[in-house]
This record gives sequence, C-alpha cells and structure tokens, in this order.
Amino acid sequence: MDIRITTVGDPDYPRVLSLYPGMPEKLYYLGNLPDPEKRSAAIVGARACSAYGRDQARGFAADLARNGVQIISGMALGIDSHAHEGCLSAGGKTFAVLGNGVDICYPRTNRSLYRRILESGGGILSEFPPGTEAAPYHFPLRNRIISALSDLVLIVEARAKSGSLITAQYALEQGKDIFAVPGRLNDPLSAGCLSLIRKGAGAALSPSQLLQELGFSADEKGEPAAPPSTSDLTPTARKILHYLSSDPKTLEEIVTASRLPLGEVFKGLLELELKSFTRQSVPGLYVRTYG
Amino acid sequence: MFCSITSTAISGVDALPVYVEADVSEGLPMFNIIGAVSTRTREAADRVKTALRNLKIVLPPKRITINLSPGDVRKEGTRYDLPIAAAVLAALDRIPKESLEGTLVLGELHLDGRIEQVPGILPSILTARDLGLKTALVPAANYAEAKAAQALDVVGLASLQDLIDYCSDGRRPENLPAGDAPLSEEEDAEDFSDIRGQESVKRACLIAAAGFHNLLLSGPPGSGKSMAARRLPGILPALTKEERLEVSRIYSVAGLLTAAHPVIQKRPFRAPHHLLSPQALVGGGRSPVPGEITLSHRGVLFLDELPEMPGRNLEFLRQPLEDRFIQISRIGRSVIFPCNFLLVAAMNPCPCGYYPDLNRCTCTERDIRNYTARISQPILDRIDLRTEVPALDYDALHAGGQDKITSAMLKTQVEKAFACQKERYLDMPIAFNSELSARDIPRFCPLSAEAGRLLEAAYTAMALSARGYHRILRIARTIADLDGDDLIRESHISEAVHFRQHS
Repeated sequence: MDIRITTVGDPDYPRVLSLYPGMPEKLYYLGNLPDPEKRSAAIVGARACSAYGRDQARGFAADLARNGVQIISGMALGIDSHAHEGCLSAGGKTFAVLGNGVDICYPRTNRSLYRRILESGGGILSEFPPGTEAAPYHFPLRNRIISALSDLVLIVEARAKSGSLITAQYALEQGKDIFAVPGRLNDPLSAGCLSLIRKGAGAALSPSQLLQELGFSADEKGEPAAPPSTSDLTPTARKILHYLSSDPKTLEEIVTASRLPLGEVFKGLLELELKSFTRQSVPGLYVRTYG
Repeated sequence: MFCSITSTAISGVDALPVYVEADVSEGLPMFNIIGAVSTRTREAADRVKTALRNLKIVLPPKRITINLSPGDVRKEGTRYDLPIAAAVLAALDRIPKESLEGTLVLGELHLDGRIEQVPGILPSILTARDLGLKTALVPAANYAEAKAAQALDVVGLASLQDLIDYCSDGRRPENLPAGDAPLSEEEDAEDFSDIRGQESVKRACLIAAAGFHNLLLSGPPGSGKSMAARRLPGILPALTKEERLEVSRIYSVAGLLTAAHPVIQKRPFRAPHHLLSPQALVGGGRSPVPGEITLSHRGVLFLDELPEMPGRNLEFLRQPLEDRFIQISRIGRSVIFPCNFLLVAAMNPCPCGYYPDLNRCTCTERDIRNYTARISQPILDRIDLRTEVPALDYDALHAGGQDKITSAMLKTQVEKAFACQKERYLDMPIAFNSELSARDIPRFCPLSAEAGRLLEAAYTAMALSARGYHRILRIARTIADLDGDDLIRESHISEAVHFRQHS
C-alpha cells in the first residue's frame, strides 16, 4: 500500500481542517481519508483503562459505527484501541491519527489492529513524514487533528491530568461538542471525565443520545444491541451476577459477598462465563460484561 | 608395616567405599598422600602430623605413604583426616590393627586432635552396612545422625585421644547426644487456621496437595501468599519411614543435619531467594552437591516473586519438573539427585503489586503484560493450578483468632485422595494425578454425561487449547478423588475450570 500525501488546496484535503488555524500543510495517509459526507466521532481516553472503560469504548464505537458514523481515534493502547476495535466489530470504518510516520505501527502491539483498520477501508493518518519515530510531544499535537476531523468528541476514561483532556481542550477551541462517559466519584480513571462534565461537557449516557446529537432522527437509529436476557439463568447464576460489576472481583470477594458455598459459586460463574455475562479481565478476576 | 581402613566418598546421595591404606617403610622421611585426592584432601597430611604431635606422638623419620583407593574415585573434603590418622597409628603399631577391622572411620581433625563433623554420614553408614561392616567411628557431632540409621554399632569420638582409647582398650566416650529420638511426627506450629477467610486459596492448596499439582498464587503484597505456601507441607501425608531416610540422606550429604535433628521428620519446605544462582537452585559444584530443588524432595519448593527470577534460572527448572530427578554431569562422572517436589510459585499481579486496585496501581497495561510474560511458557505448562490471593480487608484482619478450617482437617482429605491415587496407579509408573499424560487421561478420567457436555461447552466458548483441556481433567480428577468419586461430575469440572492455570 502506498503512502499518499494531501496538501492544503488539494481536492481531497479534508475541508474541515482548513476551517481551523494551526492545521498541517500536508497530511500523509495510508488507506482512505474520512468521508466528508459522513458523520465522524472521536473516541479517546486513558491508555491504562479499566474493564468498564473498555466495554464503554467498544459499545459506543460499535453502536455509532452501526449507524454509519466514522470513528476517529489515536490508536494508542487502552480506550483508543478499544474504540477502533468496537468500530471494526460492527463493520464500520475507523481512522487512526498517529503521532509518528504512518509507516510505523506504534505501539507495536497494535500491529493486528493497524492491519485491520486498513483492510476494512479505514485509514491511518499523520502530519509527520514517513519514518518519523513517535516522540512524547507529538501526541498532544495529533490530538488537534483528531478533534478537528470529528463532529463530536467522546472521552471515555481519563485521569485528572490526561492527554485526553488536551483533545477536549482542542475540541473546545474548535467549537466541537464534547461528551464524557460518567464514572464513579472515587474512581481515579473517571476524575477527568467528571470534571469535564462539571465544566459543561455533555454526559454521554447512551449511544442513541450521541446519535441524536449527530443529527440522526429517532427512527433512523439502528437497534442497539439488546442486553442479553437473564431469564434463562439458574437462580444461583443470577444471584452471583448481582454481585458482579465493572470492578474486577476475585473469587474470594464473590464468595464473601454472596455467602454462597464455594462449589455453587464455581458452577454459577462458569455458567455466566459460558453465556457471556462475565469475563475474566485478567485470569482470576471477574468483571460483568455490558452489552 | 601396612594397614587399611575403610572410609567413604560421597557421590550424589550415595556413599562409595574408599580404603585408606598406610605404609611405613625405610627411606627419606616424607608423608605422601596419593590416589586421586583433591587439594583440600591433601591438606590432611599437615593436620594429621600436627594433631599426632600435639598428642605427643612423634612420627618416626620414615617414608610414610597414604593411598586412598580406588584410584578412579575423586576424594574430596576433609573426611579422611581421621581414617588417615588411624591408618598411620595402626601401621606404626601404636594401636592394634584388629581393633579397626570391619569398622568404618570418618572425621576431620583439628590441630589439637579434636574431631570435627563431616557431611554424608547417613549414606556412609548405609553403605558400610551393605559392605558387611559392624562398627562405625564417627565424629561426636555426627553421633545422633549415625545412630538414626539404625544399621551399625556407632562410636562417637570427640578427639583423636578417644580413638586411641577405643582402639587400645575399647573405652567409649560417654554423654553423647542420644540420637535415638522416636521417629514421631512433630507438631506443626503453622496451621491453616492461622489464615482468616481466603476460602478459595485454602481450597486451591488442598487440591494442589491432594494431587501433587504445582500451584501459582497471584496477589498483592502482604495478602498471605507465603503464609499459605508455608502451610502446604503440613497438609501432605506424613513421610513414610523409607521417605524419611531418603530425604535425610539428601540433607546428610548437604551437611544440613544437626545433632538436634538427626533425621528429617517433616516434609521439607524450601523458599530460596529469587536471585539465587542456578547452581544453588538445581545443584552443582565441582563435586556436585544438592540444590534447592533436591532439598525440597517430597516437600514444597516455594518460589516467591516468580517474574523477578532471572529467566535462566527458570529454564533450569524445566527438566527437573518433567523428570523429577536431576542429572549433573562433570568430567568423567555424573550424579543423579532426586527432586520430586511440589512447586508453589507466587507473583504479584503487576510490577507495583496493586492491580486491579486502580487507586494504588501505577502500572500500564503493557507493564502488566510484560511482567507476566517474564515467566517462560514451558514453566507455566508444568503448573496446573492457579489462584488469586486477594488482599485481606480490615474485618478479616481485625477478627484475629483462628479460622474454622484447620490443617488437620485438610490433611485428612489429602490422605484420602492419596489413597485413591495409590490404588488407581498401582500398576503405573506414576503416583499422582498431576503426572497423568494425555494418553492416560481418557482411561483414568471418566466423565458423567453432564460433565462431558459442560467441558465441551467450556472448551468451545473459552477457546481452550489441548493443554488447557488436559489440565482441567487432571485437576477435576483430583477434585473427584477428594469427594471419593470415581466418576468426574459437573461440579468437579466447573471448579477445575476456575482453578486452571490459563496459558
């Protein structure tokens, strides 16, 4: 695949970029550029995210993508990657704006994601010439492009001092709609999002809410994935499910909280895992799966 | 003027007979030791000469030749001081030669004639018995250990003068530590009831002990991983008499038996530091001595901070974990040490140790992945069980006191499972469920219809590997044994799926 270049004034140079000051003269890209006729949403957040953040990023990305919204993010570890993954899983197009040359896959562990973004008709973009290595000061810079390319910016998880808040700052300057996924008050990974909401960002409560913001009317919205029904679970499994949340829990904690015998908990957990109500975020730690 | 005394050399955990021959003849005065002796052993000449002189025994100006036979066995250490002194005294007719016939002699000398203890007494006594010897002269400090073998008439000697007294008129030193302490199980000071809560951890320990499955404990610092591991030997069935002797032999060769504990009664628990050298771990040295894996034979080897252990060390564990013995080869010889141990490994969930507590954990996703990836796959393949050890909350800590699950209760269950396995593997070269090979699993792990369906569902839904599948069956076999069930049932599978080591 050839690396292509688009310069200010070229017909394919994203029109939205020319609206804002400080945008690059040249953009290097692999694959495609975002379709200007379609709506775009940026989903960004913490690299070290929680299981909750992972599920939300994937869920929002998938539901938006199902309605034809292009997902733009930075292909960093954590929320960014999960946003791309969520979009790909729904068959959508997703675009990654990198802080290094487009010929370099950084972080390297995302090589499979990098490949699939291109294979699915999305694109890898960068203002840095091919061969440029990632440098810490590149990442805040590329955030202004992520925000500029999008119609709205969704922050899923961010600590109090987070790079995602820089994206939000650009979005503010560029007059974009900013949304944050609310979290819990004492969760450090939600501190950034909650403070954004306090400062007036929208609280992202559901994908359909964002779709409305993007101008989709209620009847245009695709059916969001229905939450799996708990009706055919055994009573034990349902009881255990009650004690599971997005906070990873060890077996010990589940046993203590539910006061069920150890043997029952094994049965219930396996049933929940096989029916995809829970998964192990790392071996031995159970989190509830949402959506 | 020739005399020959029987002694031993140590090779692995066995003793080989060595004959110490002394000849006194006319010629230039000299004192020569020959017969594949190491430098350290050759130093015996000066110690023996000085010790004799300090007893007012002056060697005549003659040519004294000491030969340690057979010549193809390398002689190491200081164990030949006493037999050399005895052989010289007999050759000089200072003591009657007949007094040392059929007698094993071992010991190191001080310059003033005091006798110092030497390692490897227990296997030496057993070898002497096989050679048909009747008496053993050993250092007083080794008296208890020599007696514990219950094989020979043992004489403990505190000094060279004691040797002369014994040989001249049969006088024996008195007031030596008895060493015939009853071979009873000592009370375990550490009990599982010291650990409050942590029911799942105790359950994992029980399964590990019952099927001799290697176990990985993961949890934040201070959650009680070491505490649990330390209590594992206490729930394994008591060592049989043969096993005690087998383990004591190892400790004897390593020089770790004391007069107070002349026989190993309890299952060993070894917890070496993770930065120990490979030689200290698996055994080694020019004259190979047992390493930690052999010292934990029939007991528990606890490796804390497994990801911090240099990868090279871990690689050395591969073969011993597979074969349950280790062969150490040196030029011209090789020794085999047994090492049938239960491996308990512990790790923090992430480099800082606090994941998933995001208020305290400062690690990135990649840090966590890299940390776990430090443990090599072949080692993980040998670990069947894994469990999380969560940090204790305040209530559990504050309650103090004893938990209702005691080591004695767990031990009874383990003994039951051991009995099941003993019967099942009567005509097999294996002893425990953890040793079941893929080929034997269908024969020994019959599944109930529901259990079969559940396992199939789990296999598909969790994308298990063949290795994961066999691992679940091995653990389920042990859980069924704990229940006294021949058939593996649904509940056994669901528990095994949880405790399996994911890799």
